[in-house]
Amino acid sequence: MKTQGKLLYNWPEDGFDESLKFNDSSQLGNAPYDVAIIGAGIVGCALAYKLSMYKLKILLLDKNYDVGEATSKGSSAIIHTGFDSPVDSIESTLVTKASREWPELAKKLKIPFEECGALLIAINDEQKKQLKNIYDKAIKNGVTDIQLLDPKQLREIEPKITDEALGGILIPRESIVDPFSASIAYSEIALSNGVDIIFGTEIIGIENANENVKKLVTRSGIKINTNIIVNVAGLGSEKLAKLYNGESFDTNPRRGQFLVFDKYSRMNINHILLPVPTNETKGVLVIPTIFGNLMAGPTAEDFSHGDNSITGTTIEKLQSLLDGASKLYPELKKQPVISNFAGVRCNCSQGSYWIRCNDGHPGILTVSGIRSTGITSSPTLADHLVKELSDKCGLHLEKDITAIDSRPESSWPGWWKPPYSNGKIAEKDSDYGRVVCFCEQISRGEIIDHLDSPLKPVSLDSIKRRTRAQMGRCQGFDCQINVAEIISKHCDIPLEKITKRGPGSEIISNTQMMKNKEIDEINKSF
Amino acid sequence: MKSTNHFRVVIIGAGPAGIGAAIALSKKGITSVALIERSDNIGGVPSLYKKKKGGVRTFIRWSRGGIPVFGEEYANSLKNKLAKTDVEVWLNSQVLKIEAGKKEITLMNPDKGEISFTADAVIMACGSREKTLSERGWVTGARPIRVFFTKQLLQLIDGNGLLPMRNPVIIGSDLIGYAAAAKLKVAGAEDAIIMDKKRRPECSYFERLYFRIWSKPRFIDLNVKSVEVMGSKTATGIRLSKDGDILPCDGIVVCGELIPNSELALLGKLKIELPSRKPVIGRDYQMSESGWFSAGNMLGGFRGAEWCYFNGRRVARSVMNYLSKSI
Repeated sequence: MKTQGKLLYNWPEDGFDESLKFNDSSQLGNAPYDVAIIGAGIVGCALAYKLSMYKLKILLLDKNYDVGEATSKGSSAIIHTGFDSPVDSIESTLVTKASREWPELAKKLKIPFEECGALLIAINDEQKKQLKNIYDKAIKNGVTDIQLLDPKQLREIEPKITDEALGGILIPRESIVDPFSASIAYSEIALSNGVDIIFGTEIIGIENANENVKKLVTRSGIKINTNIIVNVAGLGSEKLAKLYNGESFDTNPRRGQFLVFDKYSRMNINHILLPVPTNETKGVLVIPTIFGNLMAGPTAEDFSHGDNSITGTTIEKLQSLLDGASKLYPELKKQPVISNFAGVRCNCSQGSYWIRCNDGHPGILTVSGIRSTGITSSPTLADHLVKELSDKCGLHLEKDITAIDSRPESSWPGWWKPPYSNGKIAEKDSDYGRVVCFCEQISRGEIIDHLDSPLKPVSLDSIKRRTRAQMGRCQGFDCQINVAEIISKHCDIPLEKITKRGPGSEIISNTQMMKNKEIDEINKSF
Repeated sequence: MKSTNHFRVVIIGAGPAGIGAAIALSKKGITSVALIERSDNIGGVPSLYKKKKGGVRTFIRWSRGGIPVFGEEYANSLKNKLAKTDVEVWLNSQVLKIEAGKKEITLMNPDKGEISFTADAVIMACGSREKTLSERGWVTGARPIRVFFTKQLLQLIDGNGLLPMRNPVIIGSDLIGYAAAAKLKVAGAEDAIIMDKKRRPECSYFERLYFRIWSKPRFIDLNVKSVEVMGSKTATGIRLSKDGDILPCDGIVVCGELIPNSELALLGKLKIELPSRKPVIGRDYQMSESGWFSAGNMLGGFRGAEWCYFNGRRVARSVMNYLSKSI
């Protein structure tokens, strides 16, 4: 078994475990890293996981305070077969290959994965004519297990879809996954294989870029030595590439809004419903989630960097999603919406999957424009990057037989296996019987288990993504403060310092506490 | 440990309606009544309104010409009444599922683990909650921290002595919204801005006059289609309509627009009206399955604690009627 990697946070506020704070490069040891991966999204985490199988010193770092905190957290969570990808593109090759690896990979990562299948539905003659083309393209992309359907067959598979369906295609291996747990699982395995992880650390400079040992300069002025730099910073990749004079490329954030419907909506729909795409857009999908909801989305709205409204939702677009989705599943209009959110993907003007080796200087790898297929392609893209690093950047690969490639069993792997399904556990520890999140039925015991898990989540959002507490229909009405109190007590952080997603998002802003005296006085006055 | 217990009546939810029903049934001589509550305290929403300065005397006896009392006081008086009965109270007990046909209720309890009850009749008094911003349909934007429901606000201020905001904006103009403005002011915040889609505050004139003892919030009727929450990390403001003015704030309180907690009923295949989520009931408060009744704010609408208490008693009479017929 390898020694577990270090987990450090650049946490400027007090009230946080001092032993986890990143203050100085000496905490990282004397030797430079073989590879420093900048960006702990799904691609960075998958790469760290794959590289951790070798005898290497690896660093994974991110400016946010959890893995998958940017693009990766706001996706449709579909594992695509790649049936509609542009033929012979690198994206199509990686996606098609990855879709066949996912069932096995999900078992290794111990995350929920469901092969729910997708139905592409034509609702007018124009669209019906295109079905054959789509079918042929899918065969060219190697997705041969698909089937053209007539309206009767369509309705046998999904009785609740629109009466206007004239025909369609069944794509059986289109699947859904828990998008949050994927990044978490990859990085947990990487951590136990010795990968160091630093959160809250933005790279603002690179020194000695053309030398063997390069220096990453963090915002707080700490310098980190590394031989190879991998830029998988997603929406930050263009800015980062400018620091080392990489080949010029343009990115912009592309927003995708989603509507989330309450759980019982999924009782009626089991497949992903896809409209026939046009040249401009893929259209609005109806997407079952692995958590048991339905979603409608996404939109595709281009923004420029630095626009603050980017993670917001807008009323017009949400309405257009509802209109679009209900063309495939009319009853959706009656279903209660519990939430909406906007995901932001990285669009690259020079084409998707921008991958450049020895970019600007030897030993620097740039990866950008992964759009929305990153979660699907993460395993094969990571393999591809490992090969590029070895073939072109001179990374020496030697297998480490002590490395693990699957996630160790934990007492509670996640929300999908509630402890009360095992009566004995609840009997042994009453915390497992004390339900905190009423909507998703998550117990205090599960929250504490996740607080103790290897990546040590400490924010409300990171607990939400791991346990689903606060993610149900009431969106934290009943449990948010209770969850904050549990984190506060268990991690010994004052309640007012509990954050939604890292420093700067505290529940209470600094100076707003009532003084004890005032409280006493209030209590006394009766 | 899985065990089965049979009761004459099981009541889900120990707020005023559930307690009202339990007391009434007990008085009529029904000795086997279980009252199930998911939190660690009975009394429901009123018990959150503590007897403190700025704890507002509200909810109760507006309609009957009596003096307003604190929610906590009212909850305590119900508790005292309940203590004199032999109703079996189950705290910290989350109902996991119900089976309408068998009248079976499965719940999770820290001491007993998973446990199932059966009953001759069941009363669902699950209350209501405020709609989330997404559910309202006219509030969009970012999802920062410091957007609180009143329950969370009370937990922070009364429970932990923490004032989460100094310049609050309150979305929703009902009694609860004005009470929240008063609470915040007493705890040290500025007068709130209260906004609603409606032209006039939902809270009545006399109620608003009463709240002026503590706070003089400014009301903004939107007369527009939408508002947008601003702030990437913490709430920093609200934009009125598309491209409109931004009202700066450092926290948002979400009030008004209540919806019934009817999900459990729905998952148990009892008929629920969508999108209002009210249970479908007959004149005797019986839901779509025989022997299942609904009471209190779960029926829909926004009623005070005392209304719920009396409604619970009324539903109990229907249940008595049902029980006498079914024997």
